Amino acid sequence: MVRLLLGRLAGLVAVLVAISVMVFVIFNVIPGGDPALRLAGRHPTQQNIRQIRHDWGFDQPLYTQYFDMMNHLFIERDLISYQDQTPVLPAIRRGIPRTLSLAIGAALIWMIFGITIGVLSGLYQGRWLDRVLTVVALAGVSIPIFWLGAVLLYLLTYKYHSWPVFSWIPPGGYVPFTQDPAGWATHLFLPWITLAVVSIGFYARVVRNSLLDTRHQDYVRTAKAKGLSPSRVLVRHTLRTCLIPVVTLFGLDFGAVVGGTVILIEPIFGLEGVGQYAQESVAHLDLPPLMALTLYGAFFVVFFNMLADLTYLWLDPRSRTT
Amino acid sequence: MIDAPPVAAGGFRTALRRLRRNPAAIVSAIVLLMIVFACFPGAPLWVSHACNHGPSDQNIQGTITENGHKVPVVRNDGTPIGPGLRACYLLGADSNGRDLFVRILYGGRISLEVGFISAIVCVTVALVLGILSAYAGGVTDSAISRLLDLIWSFPVYLLAVALATAFAVHGIAVGPIHVASTSLAIPIVVIAIVYVPYVARPIRGQVLSLRRMEFIEAAVASGAGPVKIMLAELLPNVASMALVFLTLIVATNILTEAALSFLGVGVPLLTPSWGNIIEQGYQTIVTAPWLTIAPGLAIMITVVSLNVLGDALRDALDPHARLRIRN
Amino acid sequence: MRRILISVAVLLLAVSAGCGSGSSSSAGSAGAPVDGGTLRGAIPDNPDHLDTGISFAVEGWELLEATNNGLLTFKKAGGGQQSVIEPDIATAMPVVTDNGRTYTFQVRKNVMFSPPVNRAVRPSDFQYAIERLFHVGSPGVGFYTNIVGADAYAAHHASHISGIVANDKTGTIAFHLVKPDGAFLDDMAIPFAFAVPTGMPYKDISTDPQWRVATGPYMVKTYTPKQQIVLVRNPNFHQWTAASPKGHVNEVDITIGTTPEQAVNETIDGQLDWYMEAVPPDRFTALRAQYPKQTFLFPRNNVTYFSMNTRKPPFDKLAVRQAVNYAIDRNALVKIFGGQGIPSETVLPPGFGSSYQEHHLYPHDLAKAKQLIQQAGATGASVQIWTTNADPAPKAAEYLASALSQIGLNVTGVKAVDDSVYWDTLLTQSGDPQIAFNHFDQDFPEGEDFIDTTLNGEHIVNVGNNDVSNTDDPTLNAMIDRTKLMPLGAARNAQWAKIDAYFMQHDAGWAPFLHLEQATFVSPRLHGLIFTGSYFELIPEMWLSKQ
Repeated sequence: MVRLLLGRLAGLVAVLVAISVMVFVIFNVIPGGDPALRLAGRHPTQQNIRQIRHDWGFDQPLYTQYFDMMNHLFIERDLISYQDQTPVLPAIRRGIPRTLSLAIGAALIWMIFGITIGVLSGLYQGRWLDRVLTVVALAGVSIPIFWLGAVLLYLLTYKYHSWPVFSWIPPGGYVPFTQDPAGWATHLFLPWITLAVVSIGFYARVVRNSLLDTRHQDYVRTAKAKGLSPSRVLVRHTLRTCLIPVVTLFGLDFGAVVGGTVILIEPIFGLEGVGQYAQESVAHLDLPPLMALTLYGAFFVVFFNMLADLTYLWLDPRSRTT
Repeated sequence: MIDAPPVAAGGFRTALRRLRRNPAAIVSAIVLLMIVFACFPGAPLWVSHACNHGPSDQNIQGTITENGHKVPVVRNDGTPIGPGLRACYLLGADSNGRDLFVRILYGGRISLEVGFISAIVCVTVALVLGILSAYAGGVTDSAISRLLDLIWSFPVYLLAVALATAFAVHGIAVGPIHVASTSLAIPIVVIAIVYVPYVARPIRGQVLSLRRMEFIEAAVASGAGPVKIMLAELLPNVASMALVFLTLIVATNILTEAALSFLGVGVPLLTPSWGNIIEQGYQTIVTAPWLTIAPGLAIMITVVSLNVLGDALRDALDPHARLRIRN
Repeated sequence: MRRILISVAVLLLAVSAGCGSGSSSSAGSAGAPVDGGTLRGAIPDNPDHLDTGISFAVEGWELLEATNNGLLTFKKAGGGQQSVIEPDIATAMPVVTDNGRTYTFQVRKNVMFSPPVNRAVRPSDFQYAIERLFHVGSPGVGFYTNIVGADAYAAHHASHISGIVANDKTGTIAFHLVKPDGAFLDDMAIPFAFAVPTGMPYKDISTDPQWRVATGPYMVKTYTPKQQIVLVRNPNFHQWTAASPKGHVNEVDITIGTTPEQAVNETIDGQLDWYMEAVPPDRFTALRAQYPKQTFLFPRNNVTYFSMNTRKPPFDKLAVRQAVNYAIDRNALVKIFGGQGIPSETVLPPGFGSSYQEHHLYPHDLAKAKQLIQQAGATGASVQIWTTNADPAPKAAEYLASALSQIGLNVTGVKAVDDSVYWDTLLTQSGDPQIAFNHFDQDFPEGEDFIDTTLNGEHIVNVGNNDVSNTDDPTLNAMIDRTKLMPLGAARNAQWAKIDAYFMQHDAGWAPFLHLEQATFVSPRLHGLIFTGSYFELIPEMWLSKQ
């Protein structure tokens, strides 16, 4: 187990190094993204541009620039953006609670609804409820997430803002939990819903299929034969087993959300988390924050994947032998 | 994660029978056919018979007559005319005075093409890599697997935007092949690359389990070469899986096209796609919400149909497979 | 996701222009100004810098106007007077000698730096400010290379700029120029020339409270990037003339990170007084109808145009460039900009007083345009259009694409580049496309800024090339060079107007189409809104009515 864990950790580091090199290379071959020109402003002199190239180390060989950037990112921890020359790490630190607030809240909603709908679907397999829930679930997965956010925002905070049911919904922005818990929740309400809607359907499907698989397995039959009540069988035996794939998937998904999907959703709601920072940096071809944020995103993807695998091992004793 | 048994030779016929009994699958297939019809032969028919406005015909200073009044297509403050029951501007106009309905029809062509072609590229590359990796094993396997890991760990949108931006400035130049920066090939290639690992990994897993099976060993024993085994024995056995993936990947890719266009690195300007119609319309969502809502609904209906069909296909072909890609 | 061009003016400075209509640029006639209160402001993102030596964007200058001062200033008044230059820390306008090559200023003795510096401003502080520009990679160095010895200083061959002679005992400072230049007065009125205490580090001091020193009525108390900027009264400030504003509100709290949509909603809900960016164009019409007393459309000094690269076919032919001018319907383009602009075919904006003379050389005429293209033998020539991705520029570029197709050119594509790299790319010869969406905001309100910077062929370089059209007409160059030597005033203005018309008729490297306006929406309690070309809304003039 320890060996496995160490192996996985080494893999994680290797992937992050490879990704950082990839990002660095991609952004150094893009023409037109010369940061020296951007720093020089509107009336640059040749002298000025040369000076900036030298001061920022753009005249160094690429590998030196790469190590220099890694040094500023991980050791000196004082990486500066090209776009507005502000420090990168404080900006990320400021974004993390926002992004996690969004992702954790949405994950709670999609897990609760996903499992409930999935179980209902499974229990009524093949009947109309199952079919309707299936289509509704798939409809959720099929909505462009940024579009859903934009349309909800338009409808509820502008068009029908005067309706008392919606008037409490603020038009985007973020309030820290420590400052005003109620404001925190109301500001995150629409983003949570938006993010959850696109995931509920998928989880419902997984739970449903998994439930159908487990219901016919031996130990469930045994439990039934022993005369346990159907609800007890469902909760004690069936649900526990059928949630194993859900946990695995959740790990993958949560990593993917925190490391990626937030890029599409945060700018719509002006949440200013790491996703919005990433979206802005990539649009500005601003390498320093982009490097930090890509590594951050990749870390979440890989780390949660690893966590999911380990949880799977722990939850499902059968897989330990293989 | 995918532990499906290989589909037997008669699998496709059984699957088709199962599909025919699934009303949701039939409805979604019909809806898809209707959308494809509307976008491909339908779009020029509409332009030639109902309203003579092409998808790029601008008419900012024009007027139309409604209830005997002359109404400007775009008002002086830039607000375009909204939806109404009329031949021209059925769904309203955009800021450049173009007919939104016609643009959605033509935009659908691009979105479907990008989704479909990139899905084929993606699944083909994934099949090659997955089968090669699992069958060859050893160094080839680890090299391919690490490459897939790498692409897969890269947050999807960051990777897509980075690649698209890198290609967008001066196009792609690989040897003699040069792709212009405003070419559709760029979003197609980018979207295809991004999802390769999601397909290649399960295929590799499937092939690994197939390799241990008797019929492969028998083929090896009978002296069949590796290429023949991969093409004649392995490929048909992962085909059903690839087909399920193809349907779902087309759906995902249509969403990804929209997202990339929304982030400003998707389908280039002048060519309407559902994604960039939303992107432009979103700037004026308050005064002209139809420009955002209508193309989004088009995407949603198409993708729901593809997902329902893909889901039914999966149930019919391979009930145990769990496939999904986060959009 | 795009940013909206109308509201974001990164790299490009807009200075106000009264445009003769005083009523439109000063707002709030709710009686005499009241002192006190906290103004609640917001801004979508960090201002570029809060360092006078480095800041080169509207948001930075808007704040620095409230906190810092130079020898001269643009008149801090609404209406058509904003291009008038007045003494600020100088006691009077400079004495000009040596045939316009020497400017000598007398510096006020009683202007104090804020804590922690707490001393009077000296002439050497102005010299230090300009020398510091060369050490901090300032985008402003280009304004001061005409000073004798600046080149040697830039090349590290001198310990000081020899052409700046500061005498702290007599309180004078003299600037010796290589060539006479009437617009040197403008160069002395922009923040790059503002006083900074000698010894200020050669780095960006935006977030360094030790060196973020003020001379004006306010000082920056705190600046936390991505969070907040707080301006409070400068305890060392006292009004040195009746004309220098003393500030009305006690504090200005600016929240960073408010989107334009949020700002509108917060203003309606009474949580916000003032937003430093423009209102989203799609909301302005409705707001204007509902809150007529809180909405303003201020004229800005800028020009939006399509620049044609005269070095690349088919735009190397004058007839083709003229055809483009005939092909575009400027009123249609104004609609794309939400109606927030004045259709125009001049280079200089209406706010530039008498140097703005309307000309009507190119009425919208597709047939004429098509005919010109045919005569030039350019029918079917391939053209790729470039544009920034900031809305609504891509829509304008698409409009251009349609117009060019109609006159017989073959448009192969419209390429949208992110706003943050677009402008740098245009300014390099290697990135300079055939035809591009382009925009120029003033640095200072004088014809030289627009015309010499963007049309004088003598300034063409490979990198940092502001003459994007590569216009290089010897006659035009000579006219510009002659005019630059003239002192500011009516004669000089008339000359700029003549050059404007000459360029459009004989070179036509641009197809100008509009001068953008700034849409503003404020709370009902905010008064004293004065919009100037150089600093936008003047913070020290703002006051809040008592609730």
